[in-house]
Amino acid sequence: MIPRPVTDRGERIISTRDIKFTYENGPEALRGINLDIRSGEYVALVGGNGSGKTTLAKHMNGLLRPSSGSVEVMGKPTHDRTVAELSKVVGYAFQNPDHQLFCSTVDDELAFGPRNLGSSPEDVARRVEYAIDTMDLRSIRGEPPLSLSLGDRRKVSIASVIAMDPKVLILDEPTMGLDAAQSRDLMGTVRKLNDDGHTIILITHEMKLVAEHVDRVIVMANGRTMLDADAKGAFTDLTILGLSKLVPPPVSKLAHRLAERGVSKDILSPEELVFELMRLRGGP
Amino acid sequence: MRALQMRNVCFTYEGSEKPALSGIDLDVEQGEFVTLLGRNGSGKSTICMLANGLIPHAIPGKLDGRTEVFGLSIVDHSVASLSTMVGIVFQEPESQLFCMSVEEEVAFGPENLAVPKEEIAERVEWALSLVGMKGSNSRSPATLSGGEKQRVAIAAALSMRPSMLILDEPAYALDPAGRVDMYSMLRSLKDKLGMAVLLAERDAEDAAEFSNRIVLMDQGRVLRNGPPREVLSDPDLLERIGLEPTQLGELSSLLGERLSGRSFSFLTVEEAEAAIVREVLSGKDGVRR
Amino acid sequence: MAGFIDLYTEGDTFLHRMDPRVKIASVLLLSALGLMLSNLYSLLILMGFIFLLLFLTRASLGKTSLALKALLRVMMLIVALWPIFDPSGTPVIASLGPVTITEPAIWRGVTSAVRVGCLATVWYILMLTTSQRDMVRALVKLGLRFDFGLALSISLRFLPTFVLTIESIKDAQRARGLELDRGGILKRARNYVAVLVPTIVSALRTAETLSLALQSRAYGARADRTYLRDLSMRRSDAVAIAAVVTILVVPAVMKYMLGYEL
Repeated sequence: MIPRPVTDRGERIISTRDIKFTYENGPEALRGINLDIRSGEYVALVGGNGSGKTTLAKHMNGLLRPSSGSVEVMGKPTHDRTVAELSKVVGYAFQNPDHQLFCSTVDDELAFGPRNLGSSPEDVARRVEYAIDTMDLRSIRGEPPLSLSLGDRRKVSIASVIAMDPKVLILDEPTMGLDAAQSRDLMGTVRKLNDDGHTIILITHEMKLVAEHVDRVIVMANGRTMLDADAKGAFTDLTILGLSKLVPPPVSKLAHRLAERGVSKDILSPEELVFELMRLRGGP
Repeated sequence: MRALQMRNVCFTYEGSEKPALSGIDLDVEQGEFVTLLGRNGSGKSTICMLANGLIPHAIPGKLDGRTEVFGLSIVDHSVASLSTMVGIVFQEPESQLFCMSVEEEVAFGPENLAVPKEEIAERVEWALSLVGMKGSNSRSPATLSGGEKQRVAIAAALSMRPSMLILDEPAYALDPAGRVDMYSMLRSLKDKLGMAVLLAERDAEDAAEFSNRIVLMDQGRVLRNGPPREVLSDPDLLERIGLEPTQLGELSSLLGERLSGRSFSFLTVEEAEAAIVREVLSGKDGVRR
Repeated sequence: MAGFIDLYTEGDTFLHRMDPRVKIASVLLLSALGLMLSNLYSLLILMGFIFLLLFLTRASLGKTSLALKALLRVMMLIVALWPIFDPSGTPVIASLGPVTITEPAIWRGVTSAVRVGCLATVWYILMLTTSQRDMVRALVKLGLRFDFGLALSISLRFLPTFVLTIESIKDAQRARGLELDRGGILKRARNYVAVLVPTIVSALRTAETLSLALQSRAYGARADRTYLRDLSMRRSDAVAIAAVVTILVVPAVMKYMLGYEL
């Protein structure tokens, strides 16, 4: 597959206009969300449980339809398009990979999506190869997905969505249950996908992940967007994070405490903090 | 008599070729809070399930070596009989609560042990208060949040009056706020009950502060076993075995490198702030910003 | 959505407080009565009595109206269809080819409909006033093995969770282009494999943890297990069961021994 040219970046690929949504017998989950996501962006959708982030994401591929307001994907409204149609543009890897895996081999699993979209056998094969390469699944391609470790099952689940060649990739808590090394691997691959031109929407509540990887952060709480800023901007306001039931990484908390001594509030990593402290020390 | 004593324990799950545990020597004294830290597959869950007899009685495999809880060999005693001494909480909130109300769930264990009705009622109230779920007796599991479910699971283990509590990644399915709540509750449990606790985690950040000891595991072996400050102050080691070094541990290490002659090891943000103000920001020229 | 299995509504009426064993027995006896009576007027009296009980549950109109509307539809269907399948008796009202509508058949249809109404409503009242937990507990006390009772209550407890899981699985597969609402029978069945397999796997994983949790809490340790909250009969329960037995026995005697047409 040929990576998309960077000239695509900047066009609105997903837009929501004041969408509201209420679950049956439930509270209002979205209270008027206005968003523009541009092609090629790497966005994190963050918030605690019940903030509405997953609800919002499900509107982007048609799994949910807003009670009011509209959603546009690639400039066209979604309301008369099926989920299957939208899945050609917006891929959604669910939080629990076991909710998607069911085939006897990884190859079959990866072929499932493209086959559903009616691709020719050659196309299906090509896409499967692309997914296998991207997620580095060559050594386990003949294994039954359900017998793999959690980390590998996650990779297969994400690969099966990549195989559908969507422009946008929504990843719901992709690192949950993974240890640091697996998480780093996976996020590295996601970074590559973004570099190749995929728009990435990362749903997460792990602020460390956000701090290290994304360009733009949308913080949600109680069905509203509390903050929509670049990653560094998200950490400078601890009250917003608190309201959204998010926990800033320890170094960030420490930086805030040392703020009155001149430490900048948007410091996220130990290296940055040490650099800053040495600067303030005024020595070598 | 130790809460848990493992000598040269090896275990391979049935159907698996690689051993899950190789030559484990581990002690947990009564009243100690020990955290097993390791990546997925390092063996920490295996140790948890050995400590209450699920391995080998419920989970088949090849077991060697000696594992004793409170002096009793887990091989010679059933899970049921060990359950009066050792309680366990698993990482999935949903699938370990199977009763229709919180009260039933917490009462289930003592009921199975034929504890008299009045005493069960007392234990239920006691356990629910300890985990901060007092008054939730008639709530159904469907109405509980993830964090609340885990609290009920802990209460359900506590109502059996164990002398050791095993927690296998209790915050696994919780969001960060839920995680913070869980750990502050665990800390208060530790202070109030003083029971032995064995905690398995992938992320040391939260338990570091109040663990007596951290046991670092990799590929079924124990790599390090010591106080948190000691074990967590080597971020390179942690990275090498696939773990996320704690940010404060990394910070300690980096500052130690930059300011030769000084060493730092902070476990909490408060400690870090104090140490930094004291030693880093008051420079040799006495200028403080 | 899973609420349709659990009709229980909290309340403090005498029906709610009645021992569930007595309630189950009463419902069985009243059902027997409903099957025994063949006279329309007797059945209407029984129906009146049962509706009085329903009123006494103090369940809100909103909740019950849905169920009652459904019941009314079924009853009307019975009245409409009965004469078509029961052409015996005179006088004949209408005749169309093989179908003969007679007046007695219409009345038999109405009688059957009222009978069904009685049975359905009395069981509905049972579900309205008895929690799932009490039902299972009653069954165990009446002789069901504790293990089976536990299996039953665990199934009931996990049913809503399961429904949610299946919805999530459907969503996850839809997001991979799976069309679950289109295609002929065979195609749809094949498509559902993508939902069935993850569902079964999820159930098995849950069962695994469940089994470990049960064992860790000493399940099965002793045969003489105790119960924190148990059912106990009270005088009012004895009175209730006596009343219901009378309500069944008196008409039975009148019908079978004294020859009344009830």
